[in-house]
Amino acid sequence: MKNTFKRFIERFVEGILFLSGTITTITVLLIVVFLFREGSGLFNNSTMEKGFVLAINKSNPVSKLSSYEIKEIFDGKITSWKQVGGKDQPIQLFHVEDITNYYTEEQIGANFENLPKLLSNVVDSIPNIVAFVPEMYVDKSFKGRVLPEKKLTLKEFFFGREWFPTSQPAAQFGAFSLITGTLWVSLWAILISLPLGLSVAIYMAEIANPKVRNFLKPVIELLAGIPSVVYGFFGLIVIVPTIQRLFDLPVGETALAGSLILAIMALPTIITISEDAIRTTPRAMKEASLALGATHWQTIYKVVLPYSSSGIAAAAILGIGRAIGETMAVLMVTGNAAIIPSSLLEPVRTIPATIAAEMGEAPQGGVHFEALFALGAILFIMTLIINIVVDFISNKKKISKR
Amino acid sequence: MKAVNIRLLLTALPLFAAAAALGNTIKVKGSDTTLPLTQMVAEAFNKQKGVTPVAVTGGGSGVGISALVEGTTDIAMSSRPLKFHEKVKFQANKLVVKEVVIAKDALSVIVHPSNKVGKLTRQQLEDIFTGKITNWKEVGGADARIIVYTRETSSGTYEFFKEHVMNKKNFARTALSMSATGSIIQSISQTKGAIGYVGLAYVNKHVKPLAVSYDSKNYVEPTLSNAQSGKYPITRPLFYFFDTKNEAKLKPFISYILSAKGQAIVKKDGYIPVK
Amino acid sequence: MKDKNTTYNSKRTSQSVAFWIFRFFSMLVVAILFLILSFIIYKGIGVINWDFITKMPENGMTEGGILPAIIGTLCLVGGSILFAFPIGVLSGIYVNEYAKNGWFIRFVRMMTNNLAGIPSIVFGRFGMALFVNYFKFGTSIIAGSLTLGLMVLPIVIRTTEEALKSIDDSFRHGSYALGASKLETIRRVTLPMAFPNIVTGLVLSIGRVSGETAPILFTAAAYFLPKLPSSITDPVMALPYHLYVLSTSGTDLEASRSMAYGTALVLVVMVLFVNLLANALRKFFSKKVKMN
Repeated sequence: MKNTFKRFIERFVEGILFLSGTITTITVLLIVVFLFREGSGLFNNSTMEKGFVLAINKSNPVSKLSSYEIKEIFDGKITSWKQVGGKDQPIQLFHVEDITNYYTEEQIGANFENLPKLLSNVVDSIPNIVAFVPEMYVDKSFKGRVLPEKKLTLKEFFFGREWFPTSQPAAQFGAFSLITGTLWVSLWAILISLPLGLSVAIYMAEIANPKVRNFLKPVIELLAGIPSVVYGFFGLIVIVPTIQRLFDLPVGETALAGSLILAIMALPTIITISEDAIRTTPRAMKEASLALGATHWQTIYKVVLPYSSSGIAAAAILGIGRAIGETMAVLMVTGNAAIIPSSLLEPVRTIPATIAAEMGEAPQGGVHFEALFALGAILFIMTLIINIVVDFISNKKKISKR
Repeated sequence: MKAVNIRLLLTALPLFAAAAALGNTIKVKGSDTTLPLTQMVAEAFNKQKGVTPVAVTGGGSGVGISALVEGTTDIAMSSRPLKFHEKVKFQANKLVVKEVVIAKDALSVIVHPSNKVGKLTRQQLEDIFTGKITNWKEVGGADARIIVYTRETSSGTYEFFKEHVMNKKNFARTALSMSATGSIIQSISQTKGAIGYVGLAYVNKHVKPLAVSYDSKNYVEPTLSNAQSGKYPITRPLFYFFDTKNEAKLKPFISYILSAKGQAIVKKDGYIPVK
Repeated sequence: MKDKNTTYNSKRTSQSVAFWIFRFFSMLVVAILFLILSFIIYKGIGVINWDFITKMPENGMTEGGILPAIIGTLCLVGGSILFAFPIGVLSGIYVNEYAKNGWFIRFVRMMTNNLAGIPSIVFGRFGMALFVNYFKFGTSIIAGSLTLGLMVLPIVIRTTEEALKSIDDSFRHGSYALGASKLETIRRVTLPMAFPNIVTGLVLSIGRVSGETAPILFTAAAYFLPKLPSSITDPVMALPYHLYVLSTSGTDLEASRSMAYGTALVLVVMVLFVNLLANALRKFFSKKVKMN
């Protein structure tokens, strides 16, 4: 009787455990699906604001303009139609508000009833015009030609150099500088924090005497509790000016500042988890190695480290995850300039900082919103690749325990 | 171990006893420019007896307006007018939105205190911020690179500056985007070649404001009196947007901020009263 | 004879070099921590007094206290740990002790690891879409706790997993040999032995949750609330968000700056307190179980 009861409890608890595992899996999948679904919607939309169109005069031979060309035209950098395949005429910009330069408010009508007709007249009368107008004011009798909208392509997104998500008429979603910026900052952060963290972990677990270790452990864990905003401040007020002075730069907000801060933030995770893993190496194995004549150091790198490689890999992955995904601190110290980094001493813009800074503004479901999620999806893939690599390396070194 | 977990749960349960939600407050959300101002007014307002208390949070003009569209806030504070597509969204969600100007703000262009340059024309400003002019010596300063600071795209301040001072042109790619005014002030105060723009209320002794001219002849300093008289050209209204359906509930707060007491707080905080 | 000595000496030298490098790095890390801590203490200590901790903010956040933010953070930390710790530990136990090492488990493990790399802001947005909008919790403690809990779930799971993995199978086998079932073994042998390291995961999570701003921006936080939260469906003020706004948006930056640092100091002290508590817990469990 008691046995079956015990068995029942066991099954029950196993069920709970299984449920927990399932909840976790479902959550993870939900987030991934959420990311990718929103992000992929990006490529079904054009980058022009919904409800607006670009119109040109009927006599203009140009049949389409790329997103980049539209931006350059409205920024005043492309000034002649010849540069985009048209006649040799200067380009005349027109926004819907400019209608008051041509007609009075009475002519337009109190509720803009005459606006479609007047817009049509303006576009028809100026051969070198390019007009950015709301779609609802372009009616059937429109005498100009509406340029077809171009959807954003994968190539434009991945390799475009310019990130101007709110630019009108054509928003630019070139994520290349963001991707390279993120990779650059994260790479250096990992290069700094992994060796540093591992060294401290080894020191704490193997070399330091117990009093030192008991002092260090809470100290390191305290580092984990400092809010990311405080790291951002510390970075902005202490690290950035120091870099500026040290390297005699015009501005201190650089990738280096970002990497340093990220490295410091990832350290506690890497150190504590590695240290735990190293400490659980069975004494028998260590003593066997020492008995065979190895020095303490040799024992560490030939016996202890391979034994704890799984734990160290976990520490690395969690630490790297922190470094790549950190938002607030990076937002404050890297300067957020969307340029491709050529050195550590220039400002960069990372993906998490971009998402954080622009997320509030992007209207739900709009192109900008979807672009930010697409960025999130890219980040996820980047982290995935790095994790696979780390897992692979650690698997090679593992001594089978089972 | 499970025993420990269950015990934890039981002790925590009363803490989370479900009670009435925070239903009866006026929720205000939006622009970080108006955030400290609104907070101070709300503080004074909440002290009165028998009023529906006000809760305030930030996030940017865009955030507030989005929240208004979704119905998660009562008032959206904004440092820029509604964009066309936002108006369309309101129409689609059948919201009739009313706009109230609660204060005015002058945008001051600031540089590092050691910068020799003291005044610039609008055209020069446009060229600097779009990246056409890259060295201070081109505008009468030292031979040093111009470091441009701007706000992020979710900021109403950013939109206003882009639309009015830069004639809708985009910022230079190399411009550094900071997410909050405080960061801009901090960065400019420690970078010699820096230039940026902030609301007048934020200018402090660590940065130097420039006089601006729109006609290349008269240069006007960004001061409270110049802004109030209209002489300073880069002035913008600060808005509250709300659904007219809620007008009765929100009226006490809105009339408070427009009253003499409210406007006195506006002035004390460094903004320009509406009258 | 001479040969053996030189190899011995060179081994000793490389050991000394390696150990000195490690010692140096450790001191560096401690130095960094002290630098940051003194930064906070120096700038924030001026504001700290009993009033600061127990009163509501006044005069445009330049005077008074930060009590609501303290309470808010406590609620959020409590809520998120309540959610993440049990599920995380139980999942970790399941993955390590029960699940067969097939491709499904490897897939789950990979996904969980990746969860740790998602930017905190994406969690915030996901939390908003799921908890605030879809489940209609609104901007509330519960939405914020669930979001924060999700964010630290991978840390708890992974540390539990590693803690359990590090326990040699001989212990398990010994227990089975004595007639215990799998569940009893876990409950009485494996889990107590692994508990100290699991506590590490708890400590790291608490630290993380207390200090994150981005996840609560859209799910729980407000800048100024007229009264303290009365239910889990209320929004709250929270220390990190308060800190962020105080230091970047206040018009009188000088005045609110010192309040901001005071806020940071309070937050760090809170985390320190919890850490010490957890450390005591860890020592207690370590004593109960003799490891090697």
